[in-house]
Amino acid sequence: MKINAKDVASGVLLILLAAVGLWLNMDHTLGSARRMGPGYMPMLVFWVQLGLGTLVLVLGLFSGPDPLERWKGIDWTMLILAVVAGTLVWQVSPMFGEFFSSTYNGVGLGMLVGFLVICYALGWRLLGFICAAMCIFALLLEKGGLMLALAATILISAMAEPEHRARPIGVLGLMIFLLAMCWWIFIKQLDIRVAVWPMQY
Amino acid sequence: MDIIGNLAHGFAVAFSFQNLLFALIGALIGTAIGVLPGIGPVATISLLLPITFGQPATTAIIMLAGIYYGAQYGGSTTAILLNLPGEISSVVTTLEGYKMARNGRAGAALATSALGSFFAGSVATVVVAASGPLLTSIALSFGPADYFSLMLLGLIISAVLAQGSIIKSIGMVVLGVGLGLVGTDVQTGQQRFTFGIPELSDGISFVALAMGMFGIAEIILNLERPEARSVLKTKVDSLWLTKEEWKRATPSVLRGTVVGSILGILPGGGASLASFGSYMMERKMSKGRHMFGQGAIEGVAGPEAANNAAAQTSFIPLLTLGIPANAVMALMVGALIIQGIQPGPRMVEAQPDLFWGLIASMWIGNVMLLVINLPMIGMWVKLLQVPYKFLYPAILVFCCIGSYSVNNNVFDVYSTVVFAVLGYMFNKMKMEPAPLLIGFVLGPMMEEHLRRAMLLSRGDVMVFVERPISASMLAIAAVALLAMMLPNLRKGKEAALSG
Repeated sequence: MKINAKDVASGVLLILLAAVGLWLNMDHTLGSARRMGPGYMPMLVFWVQLGLGTLVLVLGLFSGPDPLERWKGIDWTMLILAVVAGTLVWQVSPMFGEFFSSTYNGVGLGMLVGFLVICYALGWRLLGFICAAMCIFALLLEKGGLMLALAATILISAMAEPEHRARPIGVLGLMIFLLAMCWWIFIKQLDIRVAVWPMQY
Repeated sequence: MDIIGNLAHGFAVAFSFQNLLFALIGALIGTAIGVLPGIGPVATISLLLPITFGQPATTAIIMLAGIYYGAQYGGSTTAILLNLPGEISSVVTTLEGYKMARNGRAGAALATSALGSFFAGSVATVVVAASGPLLTSIALSFGPADYFSLMLLGLIISAVLAQGSIIKSIGMVVLGVGLGLVGTDVQTGQQRFTFGIPELSDGISFVALAMGMFGIAEIILNLERPEARSVLKTKVDSLWLTKEEWKRATPSVLRGTVVGSILGILPGGGASLASFGSYMMERKMSKGRHMFGQGAIEGVAGPEAANNAAAQTSFIPLLTLGIPANAVMALMVGALIIQGIQPGPRMVEAQPDLFWGLIASMWIGNVMLLVINLPMIGMWVKLLQVPYKFLYPAILVFCCIGSYSVNNNVFDVYSTVVFAVLGYMFNKMKMEPAPLLIGFVLGPMMEEHLRRAMLLSRGDVMVFVERPISASMLAIAAVALLAMMLPNLRKGKEAALSG
């Protein structure tokens, strides 16, 4: 058997998503072909997707070999650890203060922790740091202001590149340049509605 | 029809200070991202979308269009000087262009590509102006069933022409349509797939999806690959062509313009398909075909003319039918809808400023690009020396601010992260995100037309084959699908798309 692992995985993903869609769609009225209810089009779409997913899966069993990248033990361990840590932090985050029980800050903190945990595995490092950098931006922006949020984002994203870790002075220069540029474009020119500096208490 | 009068109106719109300024900004940004490998027009336009909300619709579209065709000019510079495609559409330019540079004709190659692009762009502008109103009048006779079939055709062709397995691409299109259904049902007001999250009641944020899958995921993937940027060795001397080169390049430019204009209009087509098509044609038909592989000027002139022509004519289906032909056009639909304009056949009548202003600005933009690219070539070569490690934090920062400022809500930033992870996963499984984006944009429109068509036909599915327009669309879609099942054609496509 020449298994095309990429296609098999894609097929499984398509089938899973279609199944979730069909399951959620049970809440919606189907209506008739003449008067379609809100559930009619999703039903059609997800059944087609289910069929296509199955086709991709079956054809993928023979069209290979095209393996996925090999995951090491540490990749699996850290993925599971990250999901657990992230969910845990999200659930207990309201205890850290009122800030985390409002809007999406609790979820954001959980995501940040998860993405930072996953960076321990080399294979996940780039994905982890880049996504963590975006999460910290969202967490810091409303209370800490644009400048602080951007500085933290640049710092974390720079961790993704080994050359930056070796030469922190370059990151500092980059940070000053980007902060000045963002201030000029977004605050001076476009005047977006956002706090620039940390809130005063 | 009064094309001259309309064009004059368009030029009046395009020559306003604001529109000229943003056409220039678009052209500059487009050239910059075209020159830089690793960042393309889809990512750039998606991360600049939020910035355009504050502007009038015409100005916004003029700028975004400038980025798309500007990237076609810039991409060739990197291809010729570094043997690296700055854009996917300039992959074939590396084949002959870099050889020309090695032979000491870098200047000539750059000049050919810029002049060829300019000529093709000017012709394409006229094509858009002439065919726009014509197609619009045809489109007005379309019923809901015809629209549904047309969109289906567009989706299928975009999947057929995408890289990799067709079934997988169609799967991605369908997944995109499914994602597009999230949110409030327009007719009954019922919430669908929102998990009780109020932010999802307007649907998944278009900006978050596009930015995550194309912007952020691309950063991660670029960082994974070791930087393959060779040092610039070639020197650019004279930018002028010899008499012999003029004679060889001219017919290729003409052919490239025709091929590009046609392939651009096709649903699923666009700049990259056009440049491949033209390259194939030049290799078979041009007088200098025996020179291919040793730096034939025809192999630069044809594809470069074709990709610029196609970048512009791919606006035709969008402006006349409201149907995006490729991922960049899907972003344009997003930009228009956010501005409160529903793209479709009524746009030419209802938004004459936008339609004619955009056409006029395309030509102005091409003039600007000629100046930006030829005399100022040295500046862009310098840009190539900025390493990616300094570039990606800047892109990331723009994505952060951009995704937040759409609704001033951190929810959008987190959704961008989710789509970045998804986009990264898709790439690892060789699932193409571009068909998904087109499906996402067309999904809600298809549902609306399907419901209307079925209501009018009293639930009779035969309406899709009884109406001649609809039936022919479906027939073309079926032929396209069947054709790709033939092994010979499939191999041809793979050869063309893998470059």
